[in-house]
Amino acid sequence: MASFTQTLRRVRVKPNYETIAWKWMRYSAFAMIPLVWGHMILQDVIVGVHRIDLDYVAMRWASLFWRIYDALLLGFAFAHGVNGLRQVLNNFIHGDRARKVMNWLLFLFWLVITLIGGAALIAGVNRAFPLP
Amino acid sequence: MSNLKTTLAGYITYRGREGHWSFLLHRITGLGVVLFLTIHIIDIAFVYFNPDLFMKAIEIYRSTLFGIGEIFLVFCVFYHGVNGLRIAYLDLFKPQGWHVESQRRSARWTLTIALILWLPSAFWMLRNLLMHNYGLFGG
Ligand code: HEM
Repeated sequence: MASFTQTLRRVRVKPNYETIAWKWMRYSAFAMIPLVWGHMILQDVIVGVHRIDLDYVAMRWASLFWRIYDALLLGFAFAHGVNGLRQVLNNFIHGDRARKVMNWLLFLFWLVITLIGGAALIAGVNRAFPLP
Repeated sequence: MSNLKTTLAGYITYRGREGHWSFLLHRITGLGVVLFLTIHIIDIAFVYFNPDLFMKAIEIYRSTLFGIGEIFLVFCVFYHGVNGLRIAYLDLFKPQGWHVESQRRSARWTLTIALILWLPSAFWMLRNLLMHNYGLFGG
């Protein structure tokens, strides 16, 4: 391997929205390894989709622990994913105006889906009584 | 439109070897997972908003086609996670570690680790699929 020296110079830049988003992508990474991998290994591998139905979700959401877990998952993973989508779109959309429109549309998209998911998480399983 | 062509051409013609394919793989897996996650949040919301539709969605997920898709989705999440950890660790704590030579090696290790994590899961999911959809292994 060729040896070479490297000069690093630290510069202070006033943090702006993009700095925060950049950091968010990286710090959220550490939280998401246990959250996302844990969720996926449990639901897709250990339990498996053939054993998941309304009863299963009702049982799971009967526990506050799992509701909080799912809320964290929703908050971290979806915000990370939508901001990632924004990063990718920034590669294709360059105009100031167009980016502004894109940012607003993505924000609304994130908000609506998060609210839908959050509402279900709070309201729980909806079934006719008496339970079958 | 020219933005689209220039950027996509760059994605294909850039010749950065390990750096190139790990960038593309991270991007494609990230986009794939966020697409699935959007659908998934909505199908889980049906548990409250429309329980019958939830069970319809689950039935679709149980099909062989989606079962195979699920196995690939799990690979995407493993690869994206391991590679994301590499990016986050270097950017935040060790930016001087971004050397072409060492990162070539570390990109290969990233893929290897992701495959090692994925294979047992893939095996078990395939087994579940064959068991439930084809009655194998006493299913
Ligand atoms: C499992 C833990 C995860 C880790 C450690 C992780 C880590 C990262 C990091 C560090 C980045 C920034 C890459 C860059 O700017 O160069 C990133 C980008 C991205 N992530 Fe994740 N992520 C994880 C899970 C997810 C999930 C669950 C989704 C989908 C909902 C997702 C979607 C994305 C997308 C779309 C990008 C943008 C890709 C790009 O700019 O090329 N990630 N991820």
